[in-house]
Amino acid sequence: MSISRRNWLKLTAGGGTGLALAELGFSASKVQAATGHLKLTGAKQFTTACNFCSCGCGMVCNVVDGKLVNLEGDPDHVINQGALCSKGAAMQATHESDRRVKTPLYRAPGSDRWQELSWEEALEKLARKVKDVRDSTWIATERDGDVEYPVNRTDAIGFLGGAQNTNEECYLWNKMGRLFGTNFVEHQARL
Amino acid sequence: MTNHWADLQNAKVFLIEGSNAAENHVMSMKWIRKAQEKGAKIIHVDPRFNRTSSIADIYARIRPGADIAFLGAVINHVLQQGLYDAEYVKLHTNALLLAKDEFALEDGVFTGYHEDKHKYDTASWAYDLDAATQKPKKAASLDDPRCVFSKLKAHFARYTPEVAEEISGVPAEQVKLIAETFANNRPGTILYALGMTQHTVGIQNIRCYGILQLLLGNIGKAGGGVNALRGEPNVQGACDMSVLNGYMFGYINAPNHNHPTLEAWTKDNGTFRRKFTVNGLKAWFGENATAENDFGWRWLPKKNGAKDYTVFGMIDDAYAGKLKLLWAVGQNPMVTNPNLNYVHEALSKLDMLVVQELWDTETASFWQRPGADPKAIKTEVLLLPAAYFMEKEGTISGSGRLVQWRYAAVKPPGKAKADLEIIDTVFRKVRDLYAGSTDPKDEPLAKAVWNYPAEHTAEAVLQEIGGRVLSEVTLPDGKVLKPGAFVGGIGQLQADGSTSSGAWIYAGVFGGGKNLSKRRDAKTDPSGLGMFPGFAWTWPGNMKILYNRASCDADGKPWPGTTPLVWWDATEKKWKGVDTPDVPDATKGPETPEGQRAFRMNGEGIGRLMAAVYKDPDAKEKGLPRDGSYTPKDGPFPEFYEPIESPVANVLHPKAQHNPCVKYPRVPGKQPVGTAKDFPYVLMTSSIAEHWCAGSTTRNVPWLNELQPECVVELPTQLAEKLRVKGGDKVRVSSARGEMVVKAVVTKRMQVMKIAGQDVPVVWMPYNWGFKGLSTGPSTNVLTIDAVDPGAGTQETKACLVNVVPVEEAVAQR
Ligand code: SF4
Repeated sequence: MSISRRNWLKLTAGGGTGLALAELGFSASKVQAATGHLKLTGAKQFTTACNFCSCGCGMVCNVVDGKLVNLEGDPDHVINQGALCSKGAAMQATHESDRRVKTPLYRAPGSDRWQELSWEEALEKLARKVKDVRDSTWIATERDGDVEYPVNRTDAIGFLGGAQNTNEECYLWNKMGRLFGTNFVEHQARL
Repeated sequence: MTNHWADLQNAKVFLIEGSNAAENHVMSMKWIRKAQEKGAKIIHVDPRFNRTSSIADIYARIRPGADIAFLGAVINHVLQQGLYDAEYVKLHTNALLLAKDEFALEDGVFTGYHEDKHKYDTASWAYDLDAATQKPKKAASLDDPRCVFSKLKAHFARYTPEVAEEISGVPAEQVKLIAETFANNRPGTILYALGMTQHTVGIQNIRCYGILQLLLGNIGKAGGGVNALRGEPNVQGACDMSVLNGYMFGYINAPNHNHPTLEAWTKDNGTFRRKFTVNGLKAWFGENATAENDFGWRWLPKKNGAKDYTVFGMIDDAYAGKLKLLWAVGQNPMVTNPNLNYVHEALSKLDMLVVQELWDTETASFWQRPGADPKAIKTEVLLLPAAYFMEKEGTISGSGRLVQWRYAAVKPPGKAKADLEIIDTVFRKVRDLYAGSTDPKDEPLAKAVWNYPAEHTAEAVLQEIGGRVLSEVTLPDGKVLKPGAFVGGIGQLQADGSTSSGAWIYAGVFGGGKNLSKRRDAKTDPSGLGMFPGFAWTWPGNMKILYNRASCDADGKPWPGTTPLVWWDATEKKWKGVDTPDVPDATKGPETPEGQRAFRMNGEGIGRLMAAVYKDPDAKEKGLPRDGSYTPKDGPFPEFYEPIESPVANVLHPKAQHNPCVKYPRVPGKQPVGTAKDFPYVLMTSSIAEHWCAGSTTRNVPWLNELQPECVVELPTQLAEKLRVKGGDKVRVSSARGEMVVKAVVTKRMQVMKIAGQDVPVVWMPYNWGFKGLSTGPSTNVLTIDAVDPGAGTQETKACLVNVVPVEEAVAQR
């Protein structure tokens, strides 16, 4: 972008209590003009949508040699027409951040540290735990008044999350939870 | 949202209450400003003067938790002054239906209350039914004292502008001005967010919106509607996909213990929804689901009807040692849940906690929380590295129900994997562990269809969601659907198992064999209203404005002076329009009952001013309901109750101070309730433009931290003077549940309000901090209360009581 980070900060923070920051939004033409300065020739473009609020602003990822060189508002999008807010405009940093978790980690009971695990070890541990808990807490039937009802469930496994996921992930998440026999399948909607 | 983002440009007036849209749904402002340029008026009602207030034509300061007192008075003013749309009300709402005579409200409590159970017997909240047809009797005019409209008028008559001022702090004259501004500029739209739902009266807050918009004829029209600005990127889609304990297959009620068969369930839920349930069961169990085995009904887990399966039930059960394994994906309850000290204790009692995340979060590392002793915490923890959105493919559904495809642009860092792959792998592993089992409890795993391809997994799952034709189907118009085809829409779904759809509301997303969520036509907008029908795909059936049948009169003609959306074409004998018509059957005209069901997802088929208990009898299957309507647990009309922690007595009925259906504390000793004597100030919390929810992601972005480096408390100037606190001083904020030290921001944005003759200082804090990430700080949710709405299970984080005192050292340093 032709606006340096410092200038951008000044530009946004300079709005003080007004709307400048929140309403900044990079206009499509500005972004296109600015990105022209970057060497995007040969970049492959992928469209996506922002993962912060539920406006669903369209974004374009520019990728060169498998590297994300630029992420910007999608000018051909019906909701944001190229603009992004302060959070959305920060998205590129989330992919590049060295603070991302990059390998499965395990913390043993009572331990004060993480240890690295392979995916195989981690998922094996998890799958065995699902089975153990399921087997030891299964409720096949339940009495209500004079009737013994078949209920086929466990109340000892909880699934939490989904609003950060795709629809397909949510669908499988819920399907898996109920097939395991739990109804504790919940996400951020109430929070 | 009943409408969608770009449709905001078509409104003539906005009522924004319970949302700081300018900061938290920034792109909405693009469209709100467009409308404002054309002369639209903006009304913002909020306890804090924020960035949304600063562009409003009318700003009203309201006490947190007093929305029903204010909105009740707005509704009352509309009714008293005759500002409602009488024709719309008579045609499209239940105003004329007769209600039972027994129904009443006394001392703030509706008929049928059982104090010991915190529950109502709702039998009296019903219509007067015709003995022969079992349909509600209808009055000849709105003046009939027995009709819903008269009951509504009587109910809200107590909510005078003066009463509203006393309770909410909004001046009586301003209440009237807002009512008139909103009623006299149509279409008008309502925007809200968590500011409206995070209360022990959350559902009834939103019911006020529904009632007001039905009275004004604002539902089903461009520029109208009740629009929830949802918090997370795919909270809409997660709800659609039933990641909610009470639902399956797309807002279909999950079975309780007393539903051992599909028929028992149908008695409570109706034949209309049974059809979609069968399609869901076929999607899950494929050929194993047959009419003979009740489509695999026994493989669904049945809830205990009396048990709380929300996130709060989960935490309570973890604390009780009953919940053993908690698996969190992209959710950080150690920042976002209220009453955090209790949440920490609950997590410490789990056998295993699994966190699937981009970052090491406060939840994943709860055993490292400042003050915690890791040695004493026996919980095993797995932290699984997840891919972020630009690193994987699939769809999300924003607030406007637009289902958009995202392409994977880059590979995830390190060994991180997409959640879809992790879920798929774990399911297969667990299934393998049970291979060969003959125990009936393990049947669901063996009988489920679960064989998604390793490549293009997301698209294969979307196909299952959207639905398939399983055996040949001949539609009423003679069209034949071949096995293997994707269903074209909800109308093609069959009740007998010959089609499948994992979530019926998404039926047709693969219509014509194409992934419609990938469409990109941002140029063609035949309506000129911003609908762009060729851009991605909107559920249901690419419909942009829900209930749009209500934009027409009884003859199917658009109401005079309104923007035409849909209409009945008498020559072609078809509902047509610039939007997908929201009718049960596009070929059934206004002369048929189907052609008059503008609110077809209600049993009555019309809008519900009174949320009466009702089941619509099935004409074909005697003894079974066709469909039912939802009645909130706490009343068929909204009634004002004080928050659980409140500085004042309930002005309307001191005997019913709180919502009678709220049971709190649920866990003795862990859920203390503070009083104004110890905690004299009202705290409201919210998010900000620069940080998002738990801050797990945004607090790892350096420049967002530069913009908003730390958590603060905003104090009204008058209160700061009294406390001898200056901006930048450290103060200790405490509630009955916890305490924290933050810097004070002294501001006129917050005020000391005059409520019921008392001075009530209101303070504000953002809730986005925690002890992990690049920017760390105490979490505001140690203060907040985990009392919840009895129906929705949303917690009362928008109103609790706190105390604020200066931190000695800070004072000494000055
Ligand atoms: S860019 Fe901003 S307004 Fe748009 S979706 Fe992201 S967070 Fe929301």
